[in-house]
Amino acid sequence: MIQISNLTKVYGTQTVLDIPDLKINKCESFGLVGNNGAGKTTMFRCILDLIRPNTGAVLSRGNDVAKKENWKIYTGSYLDDGFLIDFLTPEEYFQFVADVYGLSDGDLKAFYHDFEDFFNNEILGKKKLIRDLSAGNRQKIGISAALMPKPEILVLDEPFNSLDPTTQIRLKNLLKTLKKETEITMLISSHDLNHITEVCDRIVVLHEGKIVHDLVTNQDTLKILEDYFSVEK
Amino acid sequence: MFLKFLNLQWKTLTRSPMWHKNLVLNLVIGFFLLLFGVYLLMLGLLLSKILEELVPDRNQFDLFNGIIIYYFLADLVIRFMMQSLPRLTIESYLHLPIRKNRIIFYMMGRSIADVFNLIPLLVFIPVTFTIVHPQGGGSMALTWLASLCMLILANNFLVTYLKRQLGSKPWVVGITGLILIFFVVLDKLNVISISAISASGFRYLSHHPVFLLIPLIWMTGTFALHYKFLKIHLFPDEMQVKKAFEVDQKEGNRYLRSLGLTGTIFSLELKLYWRNKRTRTMIYMLPIFLLYGFLFYPQAQYMKQDGFLMFIGIFITGGMMINYANYAFGYESSFFDALLTKNLDFFKYIRMKFYIAILICTVCFILTIPYAFFGLKILLINAAMYLYNIGILSFILLFFATFNKNRIDLKRGGAFNYQGIGAMNWLSIIPAFFLPIIIMIPFNIAGHPYYGMALTGFVGILGLFFSKSLLKIIFRHFQKRKYIMAVNFREK
Repeated sequence: MIQISNLTKVYGTQTVLDIPDLKINKCESFGLVGNNGAGKTTMFRCILDLIRPNTGAVLSRGNDVAKKENWKIYTGSYLDDGFLIDFLTPEEYFQFVADVYGLSDGDLKAFYHDFEDFFNNEILGKKKLIRDLSAGNRQKIGISAALMPKPEILVLDEPFNSLDPTTQIRLKNLLKTLKKETEITMLISSHDLNHITEVCDRIVVLHEGKIVHDLVTNQDTLKILEDYFSVEK
Repeated sequence: MFLKFLNLQWKTLTRSPMWHKNLVLNLVIGFFLLLFGVYLLMLGLLLSKILEELVPDRNQFDLFNGIIIYYFLADLVIRFMMQSLPRLTIESYLHLPIRKNRIIFYMMGRSIADVFNLIPLLVFIPVTFTIVHPQGGGSMALTWLASLCMLILANNFLVTYLKRQLGSKPWVVGITGLILIFFVVLDKLNVISISAISASGFRYLSHHPVFLLIPLIWMTGTFALHYKFLKIHLFPDEMQVKKAFEVDQKEGNRYLRSLGLTGTIFSLELKLYWRNKRTRTMIYMLPIFLLYGFLFYPQAQYMKQDGFLMFIGIFITGGMMINYANYAFGYESSFFDALLTKNLDFFKYIRMKFYIAILICTVCFILTIPYAFFGLKILLINAAMYLYNIGILSFILLFFATFNKNRIDLKRGGAFNYQGIGAMNWLSIIPAFFLPIIIMIPFNIAGHPYYGMALTGFVGILGLFFSKSLLKIIFRHFQKRKYIMAVNFREK
């Protein structure tokens, strides 16, 4: 589904990303972990064509994301607040996303129904602008909007951050259901090793822009990751 | 402690990315401020001579004292609109072992070092020497100046207090305004004469230093008022002046949505402009752009200069559009990533911006048609400039808007806000303003100015004719620039 080859990104003299070869298959749930500055967000931004890499390319379904834009149709993403339009109300923002993806009013209604639990009555009908909502609620809006067009590829950067415990569990269940019932390919980064090992089948550890571990999740994975992060330095 | 705060504020200023990016612009602004200061100083020095020329038989001291009260009243209004509250982010200090009193004193002390408090001194101090001192000697002049300084500070504390109240208790501001209007009306109706009271009051006060107590009490009173307010409200959520924007969900944009993607982007743009402080300030400026023709058109000497009239024509029909197009992408900096990752056709998106530019120009042109009252020539020139604006200038501005890569915080007000204004960006656009005049020159020399106007208009129509190709050029350019824009927009 996604093929990264020879990808590097250099800021000044510092190489922040260096991935010679990485393949993410269809239906895979791909977890990305690493300490701050390891290059997780940079990698996601390259996949979403938000950063021009110094060398290499990201192919999505065989097409270079920087050259053809059709990946946007089947890719949903939420990295940070910059993905929200903060002077809209949540409803207006969802409407905007629905319009951009050409979804009908019925689709939107179905979306509201599907995410009713996830929103927990904190998002809709509040007459507030997104910028006046709490960080956790903004996060909910961003994640749900990324899922609205039923994407084949989902990219989320630290989705569990600033969510309350209930919503964290709901999000985990949501992602697991998606994995089981659809053919979605998920790319998720997180600092929470428990969450990520629970949700993802495959976990890649980044360090200073390089892949240092590429694991298939099993009962030992959490232990390996904890060992890796505790002995380091 | 005070010095430490000051040091931190200095660092906030010099380490902000704005400061470095816009060093040139800051220098230019600094230069103009200096120039303005020099002008005021000269005004203060020469005021005695000027008054002698204008009203030779009046006592200058009384005259100045009579005017001064109006100055202080106007100062209140101007400050209320323009003066910004000192931005000490108190969140960073409240949790530290610093006494609240210190923070408050710093906040209030910092507000004294505002340009609005320094400007009047540039006039008052020279006047003390040229007008007041000859009247009654040193101690009297000193008393006079001291009373004025206290009144300046009182205005300062009062306005900063009122501005802070605006969010929670707008009626306080309303009542103060009503009291002011009440006195001005009484003055107008000749019931009382504010200027006479002011003149005799200041005269009496400068001869009897004991009465300095009155301005002193007034100043202390306003200080105490503000102090008390801060003391109670020193919590981050209560210090914010802004109010949460309440939205009526039933806004009827059904029609816009039926237009498809174009309508979606258009309605987004409308909300952007209406719901953010900075852009709303732009909308409020519309009357200024439309009305400033009245400064020039009634004067015969300007009516002869076609080049000058064309220049005015560009700004009257296009001033708003220039502002719009220049920030066509910059205003979207806070959600640029959202647009880039959504399934959005960027050619249509840019075309929409172009349509909105045309729409703004057209509205401005129609609204200014009544200027034809000053002569049909004005209407012709403005029509030609209108065509030039929509057919040429709009493309040039949209093209260069992609170079405008500073993040803009829309939540901050527009007056005196230079955030996101790149000096280089403006410099690169300036030639576009002169192009019509260059077209005009040969026709003017040949004595056929109307042919020149026709040609300028025609060039504009030509631009419209090729709009698709021109938009494609902008689109391809945008595709190349978008990474650099996105990176810079992300920088807070």
